[in-house]
Amino acid sequence: MIRVLDFLESLRATLWPRAARRFEAAAFLLPALLLVGVLVLGLAWMADASLRLLDTETFELSEHWTLANYRDLLENDTAWIVLGRSVLGAAVVTAVTLALAFPYAWVMVRTGSAWLRKLLLVSLFLPFFIGQVVRAYGWLIVLGKEGLVNQLLGALGMGPFKMIYTYGSVLFGLVQYMLPFAVLLIAPAVTAIDEEVELASETLGAPWWRTFLEVTLPLARPGLVAAAMVVFTLALTDYAMPVILGGGTNDFVANMVYDAFFRTSDSGMGSAVAIALVAAATLLAGVLLTWLGAGTLGFRGEAKR
Amino acid sequence: MNGRRARDVVLWSVVAVNLVALAAPTLIILGASFTAGNIITFPPDGFSFKWYEKVFASETLRDAFWRSLQASLVCTAASIPAGTLAALALARRRPRFPRTLQLYLLLPFTVPLIGSGMGLMMLFGELGILGQVWPVGLACCIINLPFMIWAVQASVNALDPDLENAAATCGAAPTHAFFTITLPAVTPGIITGALLMFVLAFNEFLVSLLLTDANTVTLPVSIYNSIRNVITPDLAAVSVVYILVAGLAIALLDRMVGLEIFLKSKQS
Repeated sequence: MIRVLDFLESLRATLWPRAARRFEAAAFLLPALLLVGVLVLGLAWMADASLRLLDTETFELSEHWTLANYRDLLENDTAWIVLGRSVLGAAVVTAVTLALAFPYAWVMVRTGSAWLRKLLLVSLFLPFFIGQVVRAYGWLIVLGKEGLVNQLLGALGMGPFKMIYTYGSVLFGLVQYMLPFAVLLIAPAVTAIDEEVELASETLGAPWWRTFLEVTLPLARPGLVAAAMVVFTLALTDYAMPVILGGGTNDFVANMVYDAFFRTSDSGMGSAVAIALVAAATLLAGVLLTWLGAGTLGFRGEAKR
Repeated sequence: MNGRRARDVVLWSVVAVNLVALAAPTLIILGASFTAGNIITFPPDGFSFKWYEKVFASETLRDAFWRSLQASLVCTAASIPAGTLAALALARRRPRFPRTLQLYLLLPFTVPLIGSGMGLMMLFGELGILGQVWPVGLACCIINLPFMIWAVQASVNALDPDLENAAATCGAAPTHAFFTITLPAVTPGIITGALLMFVLAFNEFLVSLLLTDANTVTLPVSIYNSIRNVITPDLAAVSVVYILVAGLAIALLDRMVGLEIFLKSKQS
């Protein structure tokens, strides 16, 4: 073991002399910077394509740059309807998810039973690790036209109800998909709240719901902000739930991007929609991050002693 | 005390709703996969393994499974060094422009997946590497890299810098200190991160959908393609693969670092 280390050390001393130490941070960061660089390059490529118009005769993008795709997009009524549906959907999903996730995170952190905490954690990680397609498929079995709920209702002489391929089913699927993200972002913030503060509020005679709303909730703000941001952007830009549980009748923006690329083969227009979405989401995240701080999202440097 | 009881009733009702919503798809799929009937009904038409037999016999599904496994391994192998080194640099080596760096490294999260996926698809297409499995793994590594950095950084922050300083003062060469002090201390973070990266790559759908063609479909895409038609129990049997992988990953995570690590406050 020591010999291997000595060998590595002499290798390092030759290849990476002490004088080079000040470049160490850069060298350590290089692989990660390059990987994210590939993403940036892809986005640049797409930005370039978004500035070229599709020639409908040759099906090739134009040589010169033009803003025509963006202009067409602004004048496209369907695009505005899809955008409105996505934004409204994301807002509803964010509100419902946070309302469900906060009590879950609180109970998980505060419970005195290690067994219960484990159960709540496993229930959270299992769906998180199972993936969107499989979960959506599960909901199809439950909510489908000949699904389990309709079979049960049919046995009682009711229905069948159309639950799948509706706006509601897309939002429902999204909430279920977002719950683990939200809880895992909120929980560390709840842990950071001193339980004594909540007890003090109770001792001073505040009813439990006031303690919850006026003490716990504001103190958990870093986690709530991070969760709201992640849930909103993920819901706004989701592809799988609208396509599987919406069945093409309730498209979100990402479905529009996909269709532009693969149905109408207009990669210029598809790129324009995608770039607009990327710009909006990044801007929103950037504003929130600078304005409210990274919350529980940031990479934290220096450990506190 | 009465107030407390009211609180518990309200909070527990919400938690119960959560639990049902979280567990329902998993339980239903598990149940449906063992049916003896040709469609999914409730109560199930008897018990059998016939859908599992059908799934194991299917070459398409087996190939898709291996491709998913390959892509996940590529993703994990690439993200371990990249994420670990980046986390060490961010926490210990005071890089310049920390704020810009932070925003840049968070780009995979702030850029919507459909944007990253399409951009990578166009770039990879131009480079002529589409239609292979490793670019899917690379793409999964890029889009989830912040998870790896987070996981390792949590461990680095828990390591007292004085330990590393002590090693240096006592004359340990930098490489010795790195391999005997720093690396063992951050191993739990690396394990957590690697498991996350593996599992997320294994079930990544959208990026797989964009980067694969008919000959290179991964398992999630293969399931998605079959969903379109009639809902038959064979898909439930395939999906059980995911439930097993998820269960295994959770057990490993709990065994090696403890799931409670995710509840730790980031402020203290």
